[in-house]
Amino acid sequence: MSKADAFAQAGKTAVLQNIHGTMEFLQKYPPFNQMENAHLAFMVENCQLRFYGSGDSIIKPADGVVQHFYIVKQGRVHGERPHSARRGTETTFEITAGECFPLAALIGERATRTEHLAAEDTFCLQLGKPAFVKLFGVSSVFRDFALRGVSSLLDQVNQQIQLRAAETLGAQYSLDTRLGELSMRQPVSCAPGTPLREAVRLMDEQSVGSIVIVDPEQRPLGIFTLRDLRGAVAGGGEMNQPIDALMIRDPFHLTPAASAFDAAIAMTERHIAHVCLVADGRLSGVVSERDLFSLQRVDLVHLARTIRHAGRIETLAALRRDIHLLVDRMLAHGASSTQITHIITLLNDHTVCRVIELVLEECGDPGVPFTWLCFGSEGRREQTLHTDQDNGILFDAEDSADAAAIRGRLLPLAERINEGLALCGFTLCQGRIMAGNPELCLSRAEWSRRFAGFIREATPENLLGSSIYFDLRAVWGPPEGCDELRREVLRQIDDNRLFQRMMAENALRQRPPVGRFRDFVVARKGAEKDTLDLKVQGLTPFVDGARLLALAHGIEAGNTLERLRQLVARDIIDAQDGGAYEEAYHIIQLIRMQQHQQQARQNLPYSNRLDPDTLNHLDRRILRESFRQAQRLQSSLALRYQL
Amino acid sequence: MRFSWLNGRAPSLDDRQRQRLEALPGVASGALPLRDQRFVVLDLETTGLNTSRDLVLAIGAVVIDDGAIQLGQQFERTLQRDNHQVSESVLIHGIGPDAVAAGSDPAGALLDFLEFLGDSPLLAFHAPFDQRMLARALKHSLGHRLLHPFIDLAELAPLLFPQANIRQGGLDDWIAYFGLQVQQRHNASADALATAELALILFSHARRQGMDSFAALEERLAGWRRRQRAQSL
Repeated sequence: MSKADAFAQAGKTAVLQNIHGTMEFLQKYPPFNQMENAHLAFMVENCQLRFYGSGDSIIKPADGVVQHFYIVKQGRVHGERPHSARRGTETTFEITAGECFPLAALIGERATRTEHLAAEDTFCLQLGKPAFVKLFGVSSVFRDFALRGVSSLLDQVNQQIQLRAAETLGAQYSLDTRLGELSMRQPVSCAPGTPLREAVRLMDEQSVGSIVIVDPEQRPLGIFTLRDLRGAVAGGGEMNQPIDALMIRDPFHLTPAASAFDAAIAMTERHIAHVCLVADGRLSGVVSERDLFSLQRVDLVHLARTIRHAGRIETLAALRRDIHLLVDRMLAHGASSTQITHIITLLNDHTVCRVIELVLEECGDPGVPFTWLCFGSEGRREQTLHTDQDNGILFDAEDSADAAAIRGRLLPLAERINEGLALCGFTLCQGRIMAGNPELCLSRAEWSRRFAGFIREATPENLLGSSIYFDLRAVWGPPEGCDELRREVLRQIDDNRLFQRMMAENALRQRPPVGRFRDFVVARKGAEKDTLDLKVQGLTPFVDGARLLALAHGIEAGNTLERLRQLVARDIIDAQDGGAYEEAYHIIQLIRMQQHQQQARQNLPYSNRLDPDTLNHLDRRILRESFRQAQRLQSSLALRYQL
Repeated sequence: MRFSWLNGRAPSLDDRQRQRLEALPGVASGALPLRDQRFVVLDLETTGLNTSRDLVLAIGAVVIDDGAIQLGQQFERTLQRDNHQVSESVLIHGIGPDAVAAGSDPAGALLDFLEFLGDSPLLAFHAPFDQRMLARALKHSLGHRLLHPFIDLAELAPLLFPQANIRQGGLDDWIAYFGLQVQQRHNASADALATAELALILFSHARRQGMDSFAALEERLAGWRRRQRAQSL
């Protein structure tokens, strides 16, 4: 190297230190942490560093087609769009250090739809479009990121969750598999007049457990399975009688586009082992429990059946471990939090029913029909592994004396059931919201009076009560009384604007833990120092908000996401908002379940408290964004009820 | 004109260097809006703090143009100095004797800098120090007189942010006040970058207070200096 070159080199190295400093900063964030050094250096060398004072507009729709790509180096940027319900604007998202904008507009070669403002003094790296285009061409990592934007961030979170759960597993299956792909072979079918002997021969030849009876247009009329054959033989059935006399009529069916998850749920709910696949009215396949089993190591349908046939409460308690395993596997294979809570609820329902049946066998039938009710998260079908008992009993009675007498007979049973459930891992409710409590073992008329009282007198206890009891559902026994109660509540709330307003106030009590200046608001002291509560602060705002709006608009659904969907369908909330709330709710719930699984593995007690610093950067960002959606839902309630 | 004041003490420059010196532009008027004016933010590393005895060891400069720091246009040269003694300042700037011995010939490096500077006004933190050191180096190595105006950010910052209550603060105080994230301090160009970030913040606030040109800033600073003197009398 000549002396002059050496000088030039020394100078160049020194200049590069600033570039390197900026690169080091960027390498803390995706996608820059995955980009090749040369590509990153090219990007930084072509950047300008720009300052925006608090409140300055960075880009806005009126600026026309976007000409720059921005990365926040320091500070915060808010996206503001015109408010959907009132004049002025609302903050729809927040971008902080290491994050970029406006990808969609840049890729789409259009103006941004959202004004980007500096929420505080902010420095942004700004890359001109020609350099952006060049980078897009050379770096596949950058291209992938730019094309998929924030949704690729969500994918990454999901990938990470799957990866983490997969560390303890390794199996390959997916409940998202389309049923059409599962049933590869032609379905075995026959005409209605086929003799039983002939139908069984067909089943044996093809070694299948079921045959579908179809009309000439291939429309399924009924199904006949080996289980039905057992019944027919035991009943001394004639082997020459036509199959349509023995078949189960109108078999349950799904379309080939439905998922393995749908089939597993149907089998678990309906106690069936075969699901017909029907496309355009014609039979196209059959999926059996065995087909699903090949997808799962812990078989959901089998597990549900084992629960329903457990001979002792101790057996049920031991099956809880299998439920944990199942949830582990489902997380590992990318099941959504809704799928998981749905399955947990389903298995819990089976457990509850089985406990009730076992207690009835043990103590004898009380001789009065009753309905087992559940409230709260169980009522909303949103249970996680961390489950409290919230239950009650509903029965019919002539008058109050009759009610008292029936109560006397049911209470000892209810107490036994509560104890049995506690053995199965359903923690006894600290607030004594349990059927064994005389105040929760009531006749139709008594429940009616009690609920009407909640609505008439909006005391703090009554409001709290309504937030638990109005998410009611019948788990065991005749459901009609429960349905009537629910409709009654809806009618009363519809008339009572004051009660709605009090409920709205109540729904604003739990503020999502995001602050204006720091990303999370955490407890300052005590054992909970530095943590936030995923359930109370994160999920409750959505649950309370959806309940209030559903009850106020006569929507019977109890599940939070179902409520949101119906509210969107009825134009009570904006479709985009509804989608954003749903996604945010999913994310918080998923992070919570992940934490529970981890606690279970480490033999720690379940806790909903999370130290956000233990999350990686991506999870933190997405969690914060999700909490911000909760804030938006709350501010829309405040506006609607003028609070 | 430039040569009129050069007398017998002119350093020995070769023809190419003389041509380069002659080709340098003048100095901008300072009337342009801040956003349209190109600025050069300067940070010098020196052998010590004595402006009449110590030498410039390194020049770091960052450009503010179109209202933004241009990361692709940075300048840094380490100057070659014979018999450079290690002093305590090496602990600050980290330029050891090896780097200094391997540095550029001072006349060439300073010419490079002047060409990089063009007609732009200069910004620095504690500018009078940098101004004096640079002027002496230019005179000594090139026989060139520094005419470019400087704005001292150490003076501008408390004028625009009296609420910060930082009177005689250093760059570190202002970096802390604005929460600036600085990667590697005490390297001439990293310091220049931190100074440039400070300048962007100050310009943004100056514009909000109706000062939107180099000249306007100078004027306000002169008034401020008079008031400060009056108060101290």
